[in-house]
Amino acid sequence: MNLRAVTIDVLLGIVPIAVLIALWQALVSFGYAPATLLPPPGPVFMRLVQQLFTDTFQEEILATLFRLFAGFSIAVIFGVTIGLLAAASPAFNAVVRPIVRVLAPLPKVALYPALLLLLGFNHQSKIMLVAADALFPILLSTYYGASMVEQKLIWSAMAAGTPRGQILLKVVLPAAVPSILTGCRIGLVISCIVVFLAEMITSTDGLGHVLVTAARTFQAIDMFVPLITISLLGLILNGLLEGLRSYLLRGFPEV
Amino acid sequence: MMCGRAIISRAAPLLACLGLLGVWQIGALILNTDSFPTAWEAIRAIPSIVGDKESLINILASLRRMAIGFGVGVIVSIPLGLMMGRSRGVASFFNPLLMVIYPVPKAALMPIIMLWLGIGDVAKTLVIFLGVSLPVIYHSFQGAKAVEEKMLWSGAAMGLSAAERMIRIVLPAALPEILTGCRTGLVLALITMVTSEMIARQSGAGNILFNALDMGQYETVYAMIIIIGGMGIGLDAAFENLRGRLVRWSEPGFEIPVSFA
Repeated sequence: MNLRAVTIDVLLGIVPIAVLIALWQALVSFGYAPATLLPPPGPVFMRLVQQLFTDTFQEEILATLFRLFAGFSIAVIFGVTIGLLAAASPAFNAVVRPIVRVLAPLPKVALYPALLLLLGFNHQSKIMLVAADALFPILLSTYYGASMVEQKLIWSAMAAGTPRGQILLKVVLPAAVPSILTGCRIGLVISCIVVFLAEMITSTDGLGHVLVTAARTFQAIDMFVPLITISLLGLILNGLLEGLRSYLLRGFPEV
Repeated sequence: MMCGRAIISRAAPLLACLGLLGVWQIGALILNTDSFPTAWEAIRAIPSIVGDKESLINILASLRRMAIGFGVGVIVSIPLGLMMGRSRGVASFFNPLLMVIYPVPKAALMPIIMLWLGIGDVAKTLVIFLGVSLPVIYHSFQGAKAVEEKMLWSGAAMGLSAAERMIRIVLPAALPEILTGCRTGLVLALITMVTSEMIARQSGAGNILFNALDMGQYETVYAMIIIIGGMGIGLDAAFENLRGRLVRWSEPGFEIPVSFA
């Protein structure tokens, strides 16, 4: 792919976003939507930039990020461990598989009231919800990645005298990394969404709370700011994960 | 022997359900607090919810919105995803936009959409539609991209027009992947349904759930959790059944759906 093709791709990609913003502006300018309900894009982005440099807004972002990372890390740790074990041990697999089958299609948001009642209104309940939602994509893709590892690799390791426990860490885990990272990417997007929702339901801080407060006081501009912020956060985190991926997979053939 | 095994593997999800309820029961008995009733108490509260005419109408209205949102979402997303998969221009046109929209919680758009469309059915159905579209587009895109070029060439050589190739070659070839996307979309529709009703407290299953939470009717809260969870598991199983019939020829990739929020 040469530079010119990339430039054309980028330009093409900007078009719909630009059209969307232009449409947004047009709706306001031609009076189809009153500015109190739909503030024009200019002031919204001004407000976003202005807010990004205030301490209070930065604290809200930090609160959201903390919950997001805590929940996501728990999901990664448990997802990768359970996924690997399920691929390695048939007995463990037989127990875990039906449980996962039941729990994976369960709408986790419906569990949130239960988590609230059990864990309280603080960080824990939100972190748990994020972890519960991000867990399954990571677990499943780890499992599939680990069960697709080439048998010859494992046999070679066994022939070379690697103990069974070591094989899991030294052969299966690295071979499953591409698949695990795909799962992490889905999990990350989910974490962004869920943390925001949890904060909208009950919270005293965080981006979701900012949105709810603005909605209750009919501050239309302030409603758009947290939404754009979470979208930007998602893009940045996705970019970071992409960077991590290309660093970790530098030896792998292009997938 | 094989027969016995088959029965066990059939019954495994049921056993898992019972096991989870058992863990819940024991946990509740140990904790013994008001806010965490036992599984049995929660199950006993189910008939009173389902039997109540108003709640039943509410739940059915939720399901109707979900069905409409899901249906429209699927109808719009599959052609878009397929076109993105077959044409590089279309893909690079829509990809960045989708990347920007992806991490935005669709239910969080609810307060904004409510300002324009009111708190009625339209706003909630629109949010469900938005939630369903993205995974379906994404999976259709992936599926269409992986179609073997040779089949398309043969099709073109035998005189199929571009539109015919799309319907008769790309669509069937991408079907397994599309259905995976639809399955994710189905779970997602349910989640968006609950959250949208929770934000616009007017009617629906999510409304019953969170109103019960606010009023401290804990048995109702947990009973609703069981009902909504049961809907998720039931719809998923039904869809899996359908999928098995439609694409019996392909081996399942992800046999368990990945739920989004």
